[in-house]
Amino acid sequence: MAVTGMRRHVRRSLLLLTVALFALASIGVASAQVGTPKPITDEAKKIEDLWIFTLLIAAVVFVAVEGALIYALIRFRKRNDELPVQTHGSTVLEFVWTGIPVLIVIALFTYSFIVLRDVENTAAAEDMTIEVQGFQYQWQFTYQLNDLGVNADPAASGEISVIGTAAEEPTLVIPIDEPIEFRLLSNDVIHSFYIRDFLYKLDVVPGRDNRFVITARETGDYFGQCAELCGLNHALMRFKLKVVTRDEFDLWVAEQTGGNGESAVRRAD
Amino acid sequence: MAAHGIATQHKQGLSNGMLGFILFLASEVMFFGGLFAAYFIARADATEWPPENMLTAEQIARGVKLEVEFALPFIATILLVLSSVTIQFGVLAIRRGDRTALIRWLMVTIVLGLVFLTAQMYDYSQLHFRAGDTVYGTTFYTLTGFHGAHVAGGVIFMGVMLARSMAGQFSAASHEAVEACSFYWHFVDVVWIALFTVLYIVK
Amino acid sequence: MTSIVIPRPEGYARPRSALLDWLTTVDHKKLGILYLYSTMFFFGVGGILALLVRTQLAVADNSFVGNDAYNQIFTMHASAMLFLFIIPVWAGFGNYVVPLQIGAADMAFPRINALSFWLVPPAGILMFSGFLVDGGAAQAGWTAYSPLARGLGPGMDLWIIAVILLGVSSTIGAANFMVTMFRLRAPGMTMFRMPIFCWTMLVTSVLQLLATPVLASALAMLYIDRNFGGAFFDPNGGGNAILWQNIFWFYSHPAVYIMILPGMGIISEVLPVFSRKPLFGYKAFVFATMGIGGLGFSVWAHHMFTTGAVLKPWFGFMTFMIGVPTGVKMFNWLGTMWRGSISFEAPMLFALGFLSMFLIGGINGTFSAAVPVDFALHDTYFVVAHIHYVLFGGSVFAVFAGLYYWFPKIWGRRLNEKLGQAQFWLMFIGFNLAFFPMHLLGLDGMPRRIATYSNESGWEALNMASTVGAFLIATSMIPFIVAVIAAFMRPKDQPNDPWNANTLEWWTTSPPPVHNFDDLPEVHSERPLFDARQSGAGH
Ligand code: HEA
Ligand code: HEA
Ligand code: CUA
Ligand SMILES: [Cu+2]
Repeated sequence: MAVTGMRRHVRRSLLLLTVALFALASIGVASAQVGTPKPITDEAKKIEDLWIFTLLIAAVVFVAVEGALIYALIRFRKRNDELPVQTHGSTVLEFVWTGIPVLIVIALFTYSFIVLRDVENTAAAEDMTIEVQGFQYQWQFTYQLNDLGVNADPAASGEISVIGTAAEEPTLVIPIDEPIEFRLLSNDVIHSFYIRDFLYKLDVVPGRDNRFVITARETGDYFGQCAELCGLNHALMRFKLKVVTRDEFDLWVAEQTGGNGESAVRRAD
Repeated sequence: MAAHGIATQHKQGLSNGMLGFILFLASEVMFFGGLFAAYFIARADATEWPPENMLTAEQIARGVKLEVEFALPFIATILLVLSSVTIQFGVLAIRRGDRTALIRWLMVTIVLGLVFLTAQMYDYSQLHFRAGDTVYGTTFYTLTGFHGAHVAGGVIFMGVMLARSMAGQFSAASHEAVEACSFYWHFVDVVWIALFTVLYIVK
Repeated sequence: MTSIVIPRPEGYARPRSALLDWLTTVDHKKLGILYLYSTMFFFGVGGILALLVRTQLAVADNSFVGNDAYNQIFTMHASAMLFLFIIPVWAGFGNYVVPLQIGAADMAFPRINALSFWLVPPAGILMFSGFLVDGGAAQAGWTAYSPLARGLGPGMDLWIIAVILLGVSSTIGAANFMVTMFRLRAPGMTMFRMPIFCWTMLVTSVLQLLATPVLASALAMLYIDRNFGGAFFDPNGGGNAILWQNIFWFYSHPAVYIMILPGMGIISEVLPVFSRKPLFGYKAFVFATMGIGGLGFSVWAHHMFTTGAVLKPWFGFMTFMIGVPTGVKMFNWLGTMWRGSISFEAPMLFALGFLSMFLIGGINGTFSAAVPVDFALHDTYFVVAHIHYVLFGGSVFAVFAGLYYWFPKIWGRRLNEKLGQAQFWLMFIGFNLAFFPMHLLGLDGMPRRIATYSNESGWEALNMASTVGAFLIATSMIPFIVAVIAAFMRPKDQPNDPWNANTLEWWTTSPPPVHNFDDLPEVHSERPLFDARQSGAGH
C-alpha cells in the first residue's frame, strides 16, 4: 500500500511543481509586454544589449539546471526499497562543471567590461553641463547660460535654475543628439540620480563631484526619481525629464530668461 | 563540564581555552583593522594632514590646534613596550613554578600599565582639539580611546591574575590564564606600536 | 562493528525547577531550542512588518502607514529578519546539531554558549524599543547608510547598540563553534569525515569571527559621529560619506554567506538521506564552501557600483567568480540525486524548494555583477527580488527543511506529513507570487525603499499581485503552526533514526539524553550510520 500511495503522491507533487514553474515562465513571458524601459540614450542602448546578452546566458543556465533538477526528480524517484549504487563523486565532472562556468564568467565579464568602458567614456566633447543638486527632498537643475551647447553664447552671464518643491515635481529639459554632462552635488545626505529610460543612475554624494555624460536619441516625456533612501520623503523626490529638439530647447531657454539673457531662477510649475 | 573523555584524543599543543582565546584576539585584530582603515581613508582623502583647512571659523576662534605632542607619548610608548617584557618575565617565572616572581612581575606590569593610562589622560588634557574637531580629532580620540580601553581591560585582567596568584593559584603545570593574559597584553602593546607609528611618526 | 563506550561526565543530573533550568542551562541542546524559539518568534515579527509593507504598497498613492512609519517598518523588517532571525537561527541549529554530529557531549565552552544566546533576546527588545522613543525606530534601512543615519533620532542609537550586542554574540559563538569542531570530534572523525553541515558551520564561523568585528568598528564610528560630534562620515569635517558603505559591506557581503552557508549545509544533509546516496563530491563541496567564504571578502563593493567611488571592473569580476563555487555546489547536489532513489517527504520538499529558488536568486544576483546592468538595476525592486530569492527561497526554505528534518530528533515527535506538504505548496506558490513580480517592477524602474508610488507609474497591478503572494505566505504558516501544536500533543514516539540517515545525531535516542551519547559507533567515513547499517550494527 505504501508504495502505490507514495507514487500517487509523488506524481501529484511533480505535477504541482511543473504547474508552478510553468506559471512562473508565463509571468516571465507576460513581462516582455509590461513597461520595460525604453533605452533613449546611446549609453542605454549599449546597456540594454548587455542586459539581453546576460539574460540569454542566464536563461540557458536556468533552463539547464532547473531542467536537470526536474528530470532527476521524475526519473530517479523512489520505486522500490533497493539501495541505489553509491557513487561518491567524479573528479572529471568536478573539473567540467568548474571549467564551464569559468568560461561563461569570462565571457560575461569581458562583454560587461567593454560596455562599462563605453558607457563611462567621457572623452567626447561635452557641449553642456547641467548641475544637479539633490537635497532633502527635491532636486535643483542649474544651467549656465554661457554653456548651453551648440547655440550657446560664451559671453552670456547668469543661469537658469529649476527647483522642485514638495508640491511640484521639477522638469529637466535637455536637447536631443547632444552629449550632455550631468554634475551631481549634495550638501546633506546621499541621493541617487536615476532616470529609468537612461538605464542609468549615479549617486549624489556629499563631498564628491560625480559626473556622467549621455547623448539622448529620442524626444519625449520621461521620468526620474531619487533612488537612494534619503529620509522621510525619499519617495517624493520625483522629477520629469523632457527630451526636446534643439529648437524647442532654445525656445525653452528664451522663455526662462525672458529673452534677455538675464539670470533666471524659477520654481517648478 | 565540557566533553571529557571523547575530547582527549585531540588534545595536543594549545588547550581548547587557549585556542578560543587566540580566536578572540583575531577578532580584536579585525576590530582595530576597521578603525585603522577609517583612519587611512580619512588621511588619503585629505589635501593636508592635519587638515587645518577643514577647520571652521568657530573652531579657529575656539583656539583649536590640530597637533600632538611627541615627547610624552614617546616615553609612554617605551614604558608600554617595557611592560610587555616584564609580563613575559612573569610568564617565564611561573613556567619555572616561581609564583613569588610572577606576583612581583605582575605588580610591575600593572604599575606600568597604570602609568601609561595616566600619561594618556594627561596628554589628552593638554591637547588643543576635541573629538568633534575635524576627522583628525575624531580618528585620534577614537583610535587612542579604544586602545586605552583595552589597556584598562588588560590592567584589570592582570589584576585578576595577581589576585589569583596571591591566593596561591597557578603552578608550573597549570598557569594557562597567565599565558592568555600575556598574549592579550602583547596584543595591546603591538596595537599601540602601530598606533604610535601612524599617529605620531608618519607625517 | 564495535562501538565506543563513553565515560559519562559527572554533575549533569541536577534536579531543579523547569523554568530555572531553562534560564540557567548551559546544555547545548536546550540553548539550541531556545535559539530556535526566539528566532522563529522574530521571524513572525519580521513577517508581520513585511505584511504591513505589502499592505502599504498594494495600491498606488496609499497612505495606510505614511512615509515616516514606512521607513521604520521596512528597516525593522529587514533588521529583524537578518540580525534576529536568519543569522541566529543558524546558531540555533548549529548548537543543537553540531555537537551531536561530531559525537561530542557539548560545545567546547558551554557557559560562553549560554552568554551567546542570552545576548540575543535583550538585543531584540532593545532594537524594537525604538518604536517607543521620540522619532521612532531606526529608519535608515538595514544598511544604515551615513550621513543619513548620523542625523536620525535616538531609535538609531538603540539599533546600533542592539546590533553590536548581536555582533558580540555571534563573534564569541563563532569562536566556540570553531574550537568545538577542531577539538571535540569523535574518535575516527577526521576533518574530512565531518558532516557537511558542520563544515558549513565552520566556514560560517570563520566569516563571523573575521567580519563581524569590522561591523562593530563601523557601528562604533557611527555612534561616535552621532553622540560625540565625530566627523567620520561628515565631509564637512574632512570625513568621507562613502566610508560607511565600504566598511559596512566589507562585513555585510561576507554576512550574506553567513546567512546562506549553513542553509546549504542543511540541504546537503537532507538531499543524500532522501536520495539514498552519499553527497556527490564531498571534498569538492568542502572546497567550494571555503572558496565562497574566501571570495566573499573580495566583492563587497558590488553594492556600491553607483557611488562612482569604487574599482568597478575588479569587483565585477570577483562577483561573477563567486558564481563558480556556488555552481559547483549546485551541480554536486544534482549529482547526489542523479541515479538516486528519491522520496518526497517534507524535509526533501523544502530542500528542493531551496534548489529551484536559490538558483533563481543566484542568477539574478549575477546580473548585478555586470556593472553597467547594475547601473540600471541597483536600488530597484530587482534587487529586492534578489534579496528574497536568496534569503527566502534559499535560507528560509532551508530553515524549514531543517525543522522538518530534525524535529523528530529534537522533540521526539514527527511533524504531520500532510500539513508539511500543504505548507510547502502554499509557501512555494505564495513566495513566487510575492517576489517574482518584483523583478519586473525593478526593470520597470520602481525604486526600492519608497513608501508610495504614483498612479501614473503603472506599477500597481504587479504590486497587488505581490501583496496577495505575501498574504499567501502568511497563510502557509497556519499548517505549520497546527502541525507543531499537534505534534506536541502526541507522545514522544520517534525511534533513534526515523529517516535512515547518515550522521551521528541519529545514533542516540530522540530526543538525546543530557549527555548525548551512551556509546558511539566507529567512524570510518562521513556516513557512520550508513556504515553501521551496512554492517548490521546499530541499536
Ligand atoms: C543569502 C543571502 C545572499 C546570497 C547567497 C547572495 C548571493 C549573491 N549576490 Fe546578493 N545580496 C543579498 C543577499 C545575498 N546575495 C542581499 C541581502 C542584497 C541587498 C543588500 C541591500 O542593499 O539591502 C544583495 C545584493 C547584491 C548585489 C548588489 C545589488 C545592488 O544593490 O545593486 C549584488 C551585485 O553584484 C549581488 C550579487 C550576488 C551574487 C553574484 C551572489 C552569488 O553568490 C550567487 C551565486 C549563485 C549562482 C550564480 C547560481 C548557481 C550557479 C550556477 C548554476 C553555475 C553557473 C552560473 C554562472 C556561470 C553564472 N547581491
Ligand atoms: C531573511 C530575510 C527576509 C525575509 C524572510 C523576508 C520576508 C519578506 N519580505 Fe523582506 N526584506 C529583507 C529580508 C527578508 N524579507 C531585506 C534584507 C530587505 C531590505 C530592507 C532594506 O531595504 O533595508 C527586505 C525588504 C523587503 C521589501 C522592500 C521594502 C522596500 O524596499 O521599500 C519588501 C516589499 O515587499 C519585503 C517583503 C517581504 C515579504 C512579503 C516577506 C514574507 O516572505 C514574510 C513572510 C512571513 C510571515 C508573513 C510571517 C508569518 C508568521 C506568522 C504570521 C506567525 C506570527 C507568529 C508570531 C509573531 C509568533 N521585504
Ligand atoms: Cu533623495 Cu532619496
Ligand atoms: Cu554582496
